Amino acid sequence: MTTKIIGEAISRIEGYLKVTGTANFSTDFPIKNVAHGYILKSTIAAGKITEIETDAASISPGVVGVITYKNAFKLTGGGNLRGGGILQEPTVDFYGQHIAVVVAETYEQARHAARLIKVTYNKAEAKTDFEKSSAEATVPRSQGRADAIRGDVTAALQGAEHKIDVHYTTPIEHHQPMEPHSTIAVWEGGNLTLYNASQIVGAVQNALAGTFGLKPENVRVVTPHVGGGFGSKGGAWGNVVLAAMAAKMLDRPVKLALTRQNMFDSVGLRQQNKQRLQIAAAADGKITALAHDTITHTATTGEFIEPCGFLSGFMYESPNARITYRVAPMNVIIPTFCRAPGESTGSFALESAIDEMAYQLKMDPVEFRIKNEPAKDPSNGRPFSSRATTAALRKGAEMIGWSKRNQEPRQNRKGDYLVGYGTAIGAYPARQSPTSARVKLMRKGNDVNAVIELAASDLGTGTYTIIAQTAGETLGLPISAIDVKIGDSTLPPAAGSVGSIGAASFCNAVSEACQQAKIELQAKSDVKWVKAPTVAELMDAAKLNDFETRVDAKPPANASQYSSHSFNANFSEVWVNESTGMIKVPRHVAVTGAGKIMNAKTARSQIYGGCIWGIGMALTEESILDPRWGNFVTRSFAEYHIPVNLDVGRIDVAFIPEEDFVVNKLGIKGIGEVGIVGVAASIANAVFNATGKRVRDLPITPDKLL
Amino acid sequence: MKNRCEEIEPVEQELEMTADEEKLLDELGIFGESRRKFLGHASAAGLAAVAFQLLAEQKALAFSEVEALQPTGLLENPLKVGFKVNGAARSLEIDSRMTLLDTLRERLGLTGSKKGCDHGQCGACTVIVDGERALSCLMLAAQCEGRDVTTIEGLAKGSELHPMQASFVKHDGFQCGFCTPGQICSAVAMMQEAKSGELSYVTENVRSAARAVTLSDDEIRERMSGNLCRCGAYPNIVAAIREVHTGKATDHMAITEMTMEESNAAV
Amino acid sequence: MRPFKFTRAGQPTAAIQSVTGDAAARYVAGGTNIVDLMKEGVENPTELVDISRLALTQIRSTSSGLSVGAMARNTVTANHPLVRRDYPLLTQAILAGASQQIRNMATNGGNLLQRTRCTYFYDISMPCNKRSPGSGCGAMEGVNRIHAIFGWSDKCVAVHPSDMCVALAALDAVVNIEGAGRKTRAVPFTDFIRLPGDTPEKDNLLEHGELITSIDIPKNNFAANSYYLKVRDRASYAFALVSVAAALDMSGGNIKQARIALGGVAHKPWRAIEAEKYLQGKAATEANFKAAAEAEMKAARTLKHNEFKPELARRAMVHALQRAMKSRSA
Repeated sequence: MTTKIIGEAISRIEGYLKVTGTANFSTDFPIKNVAHGYILKSTIAAGKITEIETDAASISPGVVGVITYKNAFKLTGGGNLRGGGILQEPTVDFYGQHIAVVVAETYEQARHAARLIKVTYNKAEAKTDFEKSSAEATVPRSQGRADAIRGDVTAALQGAEHKIDVHYTTPIEHHQPMEPHSTIAVWEGGNLTLYNASQIVGAVQNALAGTFGLKPENVRVVTPHVGGGFGSKGGAWGNVVLAAMAAKMLDRPVKLALTRQNMFDSVGLRQQNKQRLQIAAAADGKITALAHDTITHTATTGEFIEPCGFLSGFMYESPNARITYRVAPMNVIIPTFCRAPGESTGSFALESAIDEMAYQLKMDPVEFRIKNEPAKDPSNGRPFSSRATTAALRKGAEMIGWSKRNQEPRQNRKGDYLVGYGTAIGAYPARQSPTSARVKLMRKGNDVNAVIELAASDLGTGTYTIIAQTAGETLGLPISAIDVKIGDSTLPPAAGSVGSIGAASFCNAVSEACQQAKIELQAKSDVKWVKAPTVAELMDAAKLNDFETRVDAKPPANASQYSSHSFNANFSEVWVNESTGMIKVPRHVAVTGAGKIMNAKTARSQIYGGCIWGIGMALTEESILDPRWGNFVTRSFAEYHIPVNLDVGRIDVAFIPEEDFVVNKLGIKGIGEVGIVGVAASIANAVFNATGKRVRDLPITPDKLL
Repeated sequence: MKNRCEEIEPVEQELEMTADEEKLLDELGIFGESRRKFLGHASAAGLAAVAFQLLAEQKALAFSEVEALQPTGLLENPLKVGFKVNGAARSLEIDSRMTLLDTLRERLGLTGSKKGCDHGQCGACTVIVDGERALSCLMLAAQCEGRDVTTIEGLAKGSELHPMQASFVKHDGFQCGFCTPGQICSAVAMMQEAKSGELSYVTENVRSAARAVTLSDDEIRERMSGNLCRCGAYPNIVAAIREVHTGKATDHMAITEMTMEESNAAV
Repeated sequence: MRPFKFTRAGQPTAAIQSVTGDAAARYVAGGTNIVDLMKEGVENPTELVDISRLALTQIRSTSSGLSVGAMARNTVTANHPLVRRDYPLLTQAILAGASQQIRNMATNGGNLLQRTRCTYFYDISMPCNKRSPGSGCGAMEGVNRIHAIFGWSDKCVAVHPSDMCVALAALDAVVNIEGAGRKTRAVPFTDFIRLPGDTPEKDNLLEHGELITSIDIPKNNFAANSYYLKVRDRASYAFALVSVAAALDMSGGNIKQARIALGGVAHKPWRAIEAEKYLQGKAATEANFKAAAEAEMKAARTLKHNEFKPELARRAMVHALQRAMKSRSA
C-alpha cells in the first residue's frame, strides 16, 4: 500500500478528546486523597528572610502542612533545574520567589492559610532597574555569545555613502501558556510519579531524579497533553520540585498549580533587550557593513542570553560584520527560551533597520533584501542546505498585493485610517535530536494495527497526528490502525517539543522504526517477494501475530557541514486610526520554506500561532517592573495583554515546496519557531509606511502614535 | 430560560462501523458509552489512535463519582447547594468559598472546564448557566442554587458531537486544547445570542430592533474576545464558528478582510 | 479568601438589615468584581449576602425617562428595546466593557461599584491608600501610565474602570439608594462616584449597608447623535486608556446641548463640563470640537507615565463627537 498520508490535512487525532473536555491535562487526573498546595512568594527582590511565622497558617482549618526553608526536605542538589525557588535557603534573589508552600485539604483552605504567614526580611540592595543595570553590562560568560567580528565595520561605516545607526528596544515578555504550570505529585515508596505539563518529558524526569537523588527510572512523568508552553515548560522549574517535596513530606499526593499571577515570576521570561543596529550601504544597494550589538539582562542566579544577533550573521551578505552581546545581572526570575528566543526580538531590530536602510536608499524593501541575499552562510562559510528567502519574498509580495504599497509613507488612506504595508524576513535553525521509538505490530487476519511509542510531547504542535501519519504511510496502514502513545517517560526517550526539533526528531525516529520493523520481519522468513509486501503479508510469512522493534535514531552525520534553517517572509497590512492611534492588522501573509510539511492543517495552525505571537509582540505585550520593589506591575491578564480574537484579522499562510534531505532523511525543517520571526518587524514597518512614524520601542501602543 | 444547547440540531449521523472496527473495539475492551464516543469520533480521526487515550483516561476515571462527591476534610461555613449539571440534578455540601469552577473540577469530577486565570480574564472556565455563557471562576457555587449548568462534557449527545465540537475538530480550532472547552461553550451560547439579535460593540447600528442576525467575521471576533487562546487558533476558531453559524461549509482561506464599517465601529 | 458566611436575601430590606448590622459584611450580586477581589485578598468580608435574586430587575419607561433596576444584568440592559432605541449611548458603553460572559453575570448596581484596576490597589503587597488607608500611594511615583489626569489627590491617582458609568455620567443619571429603616435617597450620578481627596478608600457616597435599587435616566434628545469611543491597548477585552461618551442634541446644524464624559482619566467618570459649555449653540464642526476638547484639557495634570493622556483624550473627544454626528436613526 502506498497511500499518501504524510502531508495531508488530517484533523488532529486527539481532537475528539480536546473538544469534549476529556483530554487530561496535569491537574485533570483524578488522584485519590490529593491535597492542594498554594505557594507564598517573596515581597522583596533581594535579601534574607529573618523570620517566617507559620503558626497561624499551620492551625488554620484543613491545613496539613506548611513548608518553608526551615523545615523543607533537604535536596541533594543538582538536577539541572531551570530556576525558581525550592526552599533550601532563606536567601531571596528576586521578587516573587517561592518562600513557602501551604498544603491543605482543599484549595480554598490552602490559599487562605498562605495569607496568614508573616515574613520579616533583611533587605539587600536589589538590581531591578534595567536602565541602570544595562549601563553596567559586561561581556557574557556564555561561549556562544562571544563577539563575532568579520572585516572592519567601523572603517566601512565611516566611508559609507549611506548608513544608519539606530537603537531598538523590546520589553520583558511572558510566555503565559493558557495552562498554568501544574503538577500532581504522587509517591509510592521510593517511586515518584509526576502528572506534570512538560515539553521535554525526559528533562523533567532527569531534573527531578537529580534533585531528589533518585535514579531516573524511579521518576515517571506523565504528560499526555500540554496546555501550551512556548519554551516555559521546556524543563523543570522550582514549582515541580515543591509539589514533589510536599507530597514526600506529607506522604500523600499533592496538586500544585501555579496561579496566573505566579506565572509572571515562577517560570522564566523573555528578557528585555536594547539593540543597536548599524548598517552601511553603497548607492547601488549593496550592504557593506552590518553591526548588531545587544545589551540585555539576565538573573543574578545565572546567565541566559537570547541570541538577538543570530540572524544578523547570515541573513544578508556583508563583507564587514559585528555581532556582540553585553549582559547585566538583575534580581528577576531567570530569563529562558521563549518562542524563537533571540530570532524573534533580534529580527525586530534587524528587519526594522533593513527597512530604514531601504527607505534611505529609496529602494523597494523587497528588492533591497533580495539584492543582499548571501550565496552561502557568511558567518561560517557553509552552504545553505536550502534557503527559500527570495521565493518567499516574491510569493508573499504577490499574495498581499505589494504593488498597492507606496514607497512614501502616509499616502494611503481609508476613512479614518492610514493604511500601510510592511515586510520582514526571518529564519530559525533546522535540527534533529536523538530520539528512540518503538513500533508494535498486532496482526488479526489481514489487518494489522500498530502502536507507536516514544516519550515525545504534544503541546498543540500536532505531534500525535504527524506521528500517526508517518507510521501509517511507512507501514502502509490506514491512520485508523495507528495508535500513538507519547507523553510518558516510561516510553523510549525522545527529544522535546522545543527549538523546532520536535517534528524532525519524532518523525524520523518513527519512520526509521517502521522501516526497521519491515526489514526485520522480512528477515524472519525466506519468502522472495516479487512486489513489495504489505506488513500483514510480512507477518503472515514470518508466522507472527505480534512483533515489536525499536530504533535509536540520530541526526545525519553530515548535517553539521551545512547551514540549515527554515526561512520565511512576512507581509503585513496595517490600518492606523489617525485619531486614536489604535492599530489593526486586517491582513498578514506568512510564506515559509520549512522542508517537508507533515500535515497541511496543523502546519498552517502553527504558523498562525507564530504570526499571532508576533502581533502580540508588535502591538500589545509588555511586562513592566517597578524598580522600587522589583515586582511586575503587569501581574495578570488584565494588564499583560495577549492578543484577543478581534486583534487578529485574516492571515494567509503559504509554504514554499522544498526537498531538503541534508537536514534529515524525511526533509523536515520545523515550523514552531520560525512563524513568529520577522512578524513584529513586518508590522512595525507597515506602521511606518502608514504613518511615517518609526516606532523603535515595542510594543506599539496607541500612545506611541500620537 | 430554556437551555440553548438543546435548540441546536445535531447534524452528525451515527456512523456505520466496519466489522473490523467493531472487532478492534471488542479487542480493546471498549463498550457502552466509550464505544459510542468512538463512533462520534471516528469521522474526525483515527480509531486506534484514540483508543489508547480513552482507555487510559477511562481507567483513570474509574475513581467513582461517589468518591468525588465526598468533601475531603473539614468544611468551613458548609452549605448545601443543589443545581443541575448537564441535565442531572446534583446536590452537595460545599465550602462557601468554592467557585462553580472548583466545584465542577474538584467535587463533580468534571475537569473539562479549565482554570486558566481564576480571575475572569481568560474565559477558559466558560460554562453555560441557564442558557447563557458565564465564567465559572467568578461564580460562587453557593449562588448556583436551582440553576442549570451545561459544561463541555454535556454538549455531545452520546456518540454525536455537538456541531460546534465537530466544527472545531474540522477547522483545527485549537492547538494545545486548554482553552477549547471554554471557547466551545462560549461559541455555542453565542449562536443563541445571534438568534435573539443581541448586539456587540462592533455592531454598526445598535438602535435597530432586535432580530436574528448573521454575524460577520468581525462580529464573531469581538464576541469571542472574552476567550483567550495563546496558541493563536483564532482564525480557525472564527472559521469553525462561521460554518456552524451559517450552515455553509467554510473554507479556511476564505476568512474575509474586515469591512470598513465594522472596522470603524471597532475603534 | 477568608472563610465567610453565605446568606441569600429574599427581600431588599432583609439584605440591607444583614449588611448594615455587620461592618465586615458585603453584598454579592454578579460576583464578577467582588469574588475576584476576595481571591486577591483585597476584600475580606466575613459575610456575603447574595442579592442577585432580588426583584430589582425592571427596565421600564417612566414619566421622566427610564428606570433601570440595579439587579438587571448588563447584557439585558444593553439589549433592552427601550435602551437600544432611546439610550444607544448606554448600550454602546456597556458593550465596550469586559466580555459577553462577564456582562451576562454583572448587574447594573455592581457595575457602579466596580473598584479601580490600579495594580497597586490589586496587589496586596503594595502600598495603597485606597485599600489600606495611610499606607501610601504606590502609583504616584510608580508605574502610572493608566492613571488619572483629572481630579487626583496626593493620596490617590487611580481611575474608575467602568464604561457603563461614563455613559451614565453623560446622561445625567440618578442613583436610587435604600438604607436601613427603608430610608431612600436619590443621588445625581455625577456626585455618586467621588474624587479621592483625603479619603480614597471611599469610592462613592454609599454608606455601609446602603443598597442601590435602581438608576433613573432622564428623557433626552441624544439618541440620534451619540457615540461611545473606547481607546485601549488591544482591540477588545481591555480597560480603557481613555474613553469618551459623546451625545449631541442637534437643532439644524447647531448644537442645542452637548453631553460629554470621559473614562480612564479620573477617579470618577469625568464629565467634560467645559467642553459642553463651549459647544452649546455652536456648529458641529471639527474646529469647534477641537476647541471644546482644548477647553476641557486645560485642567489636566499628568503624571510621569501618562503624559500622553491629554492629547489622546483631546483626539478621542473630537473623534467621538464626529462619530456621534454620523450616528444612525433607529
